[in-house]
Amino acid sequence: MKKILPLLVLALAGAALAAAAPRTITLGLVAKSQGNPVFQAARVGAIDAAKELSAKYGLDIRIDWRTPNEEDAQKQAEAIEQLVLAGAEGISVSCSDANKLTDAINRAVDNGVPVATFDSDAPASKRFVTYGVDDFECGKQTMTELARVMNGKGVIAVLAGNPNAPNLQKRVQGVRAVAAQFPGITIRDVYYHKETPQDAAARIEQVMQANPDITGWAFIGGWPLFTENALKWQPGTVQCVSVDALPAQLAYIRSGHVPVLLGQQCYEWGHRTVELLIAKIVDHKDPPAIKEISALVPVTKDNVDAYAKNWEKWLPN
Amino acid sequence: MSFLRSLLRFQESGLLLVIVGLGLLLTIFSGTVRIPSFTRTADGGRQRVFTVNAAGERVPAFVEKNKFFNAQNLAQLAKDTSFTAIMAVGMAVVIIAGGIDLSVGAIYALASVIGALVLNHYGPDGAGAATAPWLGVLLGIGACVGTAALCGLVNGGLIVALRVHPFIITLGAMAILRGIAFVITKGQSVGGFPPVFRELVRFEVGDGLSIVPMIVMLVVLVAGWIFLARLAAGRRVYAIGGNELAARFSGIRVERVKLGVYLLSGFAAGIAALLSIGYYGAATSGDGQGYELNVIAAAVVGGASLSGGRGSALGVVLGALIIQMISSGIVILGIDQNYSQIIIGSVVIAAVVLDNFNTWLSKRRLTHAS
Repeated sequence: MKKILPLLVLALAGAALAAAAPRTITLGLVAKSQGNPVFQAARVGAIDAAKELSAKYGLDIRIDWRTPNEEDAQKQAEAIEQLVLAGAEGISVSCSDANKLTDAINRAVDNGVPVATFDSDAPASKRFVTYGVDDFECGKQTMTELARVMNGKGVIAVLAGNPNAPNLQKRVQGVRAVAAQFPGITIRDVYYHKETPQDAAARIEQVMQANPDITGWAFIGGWPLFTENALKWQPGTVQCVSVDALPAQLAYIRSGHVPVLLGQQCYEWGHRTVELLIAKIVDHKDPPAIKEISALVPVTKDNVDAYAKNWEKWLPN
Repeated sequence: MSFLRSLLRFQESGLLLVIVGLGLLLTIFSGTVRIPSFTRTADGGRQRVFTVNAAGERVPAFVEKNKFFNAQNLAQLAKDTSFTAIMAVGMAVVIIAGGIDLSVGAIYALASVIGALVLNHYGPDGAGAATAPWLGVLLGIGACVGTAALCGLVNGGLIVALRVHPFIITLGAMAILRGIAFVITKGQSVGGFPPVFRELVRFEVGDGLSIVPMIVMLVVLVAGWIFLARLAAGRRVYAIGGNELAARFSGIRVERVKLGVYLLSGFAAGIAALLSIGYYGAATSGDGQGYELNVIAAAVVGGASLSGGRGSALGVVLGALIIQMISSGIVILGIDQNYSQIIIGSVVIAAVVLDNFNTWLSKRRLTHAS
């Protein structure tokens, strides 16, 4: 009995510990590419939400980040399939190609794993919610701001990133729709490029050399502004409005090269979709609408310093 | 004992041992996962199984399985491996002949979008929707694989005719072919294929196991093995890779063989592209970015020598499987993804070092024996 007693105590203690251990919920986070800082902010947002909700619900919520190094919808689909098999209870994804990801999302949902999309949606899929900007409105807002700073006249170019991304295509449509309302504005062309800061900056340089009459740029994503000296003109000579307002990009507001940045709430992409997923998994609660729109935050010289403070929290330490 | 000895003498025994070892490690350390239970309905569909809990509520039923060693995960592993492995068999033939094909990713993209455009034409919303679906599917398959084979042939033709290093020609082709893919699709994703095509490629057995990509991979593997190991044409490929001048003097028509190997590489990329569009249901000009490096890595890990004259179809398929096992293992074990590139890169280097060591050991053994 003397030998059995300690074993019994140990077994009971183990059982008590097991009973006290919080339930673990793993959520997969699949963004478009590793190298793009906006998705790193989404990752931080998701991790923060996981910590907050773990404390609130008494759970152990973990974020499993599975993002291709470069944009690759096939790799994203594979990541979703692997996450389902590895036991993820929910997945949040930004789709590089909605057509390619629809089946993978549907299959995850059929396997009881709810899927939320952010930034770039797969509208034909069974995802229960999508969170992000209204891309058409985003394009319209970008062009409206540009037309305002250009006083409604000039030759403009549109910098548009990955030509295969459906969300960027919608933004281009939004830009075109507003530009058509300004007879004094001509769109020289829409310029696509690999979504790296260097490629984007090089594309601007090429375009400006070939088209020195361009007086305005609409960046529907802020890729070139992650490099220094991407805009090789005197502040004010060429106007520029860009989507995104990450720390490196804020320098262009301060220098006067870019009068307006339209900040996407990329930290919220991760934070909000984790909240929505946990509400769905734990509370069995669906959001009121499938589309949850996040507003763009205009950043100008007036509020740049206040906005910059947010990034101390939003980016990985 | 003699079985073990003959197994160790088997050329790919090292790779098999690595796969078995990795499999064992992943099985032991992966833990378990709760997978929802499904049953087949009368019409062949899948339906969740429900059970009644202690409170009398109807709740979904789950089964607990090993995270790595379960049928779904192994089928997924085989499916994910198949695209790279099929291209790697084609690449192995090129590498054995002493060449390199950097354009396989771009061929994959162009073949995907051309096949997708044809299939979209005959899809439910296409202009040719009224045509018999099988005709549309056959034309789509022909367009996809034919485009890829033609690209390979052009690569081979330019390499032979211009006598330029294949690195340069295929590097140029990589940009040109992706550019063509972009121009003809205007950067848009092309989907909307005849359902019969998707059902064929996504055909499932058992509990949702997609087996078509795996079967095609095995067929390509057997075809590659027969070609390289059993046919005279395959021996000529080794001869050219081993010593091109000697092969030429021994009467081998080197140019014709070179043309053939690039054709085969393109053809293999076309088969992989076909499976990809069938499985994922769409194609874009951005498909297959960087795949050439994955394919070359699979070939190298699988024992193909970049200086030519050495390698096998089975080896490169096993090489692709090892890389995919590591990649999947990182997900299964929950290792931070930031380390995945470091791990995979280290494995590629380790494989080459081990291979070199093995070669040195064999030579030493031969020297001692003589």
